[in-house]
Amino acid sequence: MEFKDLDPILHSQLRLAVVSLLISVKEAEFTFIKEKTNATAGNLSVQLNKLKEVEYIEISKQFKDNYPQTLCKITPKGIDAFEKYVNALQSYMRP
Amino acid sequence: MEDKEFSHEESIRLINTMISKAKKSYVTKGIGPMVWGALIVFCSLFTWAQIQFHLLPDVDIWFLLIFALLPQIYFTIKEKRQRKFTAYEEVVTGYVWTAFAISIFLTSFYNSKYGTNESSTLVMILYGIPTFITGGMVKFKPLIIGGIACWIISAISIYTPVQTDMLLMALCGLVAWLIPGIILWNRYQKRKAEHGV
Repeated sequence: MEFKDLDPILHSQLRLAVVSLLISVKEAEFTFIKEKTNATAGNLSVQLNKLKEVEYIEISKQFKDNYPQTLCKITPKGIDAFEKYVNALQSYMRP
Repeated sequence: MEDKEFSHEESIRLINTMISKAKKSYVTKGIGPMVWGALIVFCSLFTWAQIQFHLLPDVDIWFLLIFALLPQIYFTIKEKRQRKFTAYEEVVTGYVWTAFAISIFLTSFYNSKYGTNESSTLVMILYGIPTFITGGMVKFKPLIIGGIACWIISAISIYTPVQTDMLLMALCGLVAWLIPGIILWNRYQKRKAEHGV
C-alpha cells in the first residue's frame, strides 16, 4: 500500500486545530479560536500567520463597537489541503 | 494547546473534537420562533373569534405580523453581533427564511387582490417548509416535527371550514414555533447557567 505524505503545515497540533475549527464555520474571530484551542495569544498569532503565508486562511482586521476585531476564514486552497490531509490520514489508518 | 507534532490517531481525534466544538458553539436563544409563534397563535385565535362570534371589530389583525418583523430583525442582529463566529447554518437559514418571508408576502398580496378565503391551507404548507429545513440543518427535532405537523395540519384543513382553519393555524404556530422556541430558550438558559454560554 502506498502511503501519502502528510502536509507538514497541517500536521501540527495547533494549526490542525485552527483549520478544523475554521472548516466548520464561515468565519471566526481571533478570540473565538483562542477560546476553543486554549492557545496563548502569541502562539496563536504565529500559527495563524503561518497558515496565512501558505494561503490556507485569510485574515482580515476591522472595528466592532470601537474595538479592533480580527476575523479568520479558510480559503479554497485551505479546504483542499484539509481534504487531502484527511484522505492521507485515512490511508494510514486503513488495515 | 502547544504547537507540537503528534500521531495519526491523535490527528483524527483532534479534528473530531474541534469540529464538534464548533458545532456546539452555535446556540440560539429561540426568541425569534417564540415571538413569531405567539403572534401566529394570537392572530389565528383572534380571527377565529371574529368569524365565530361576530363580536370583535372587523380589523385585519394579521398586520401585527409586519410589526413583529421589527423586533425579529433587532434580535437577529443583536444575536449575530454577540456571536464570535458566523456559522454556515446561519447563512443558509437566512436565505431559507428570506424566501419564506417573500412567499408569505406574495401569498398575502394575492389574497388581498383576489379575496380568497381558502388560502390558509397554502399558508400552512409554506409554514412547514422553512421549519422543516431549519430543523434538519441544525439537527433540532422539535422543528422537524413542527414542520411535518404543519403539513399534516394543512392536509386536514383542506376538508375544514375557514373558522376551523384558524384554529388549525393556531395549532401550527404552537407546534412549529412557540414550543420549539420555548425549548430553545430553556436550553440556552440551562447552558448559560452551566457554562456561561
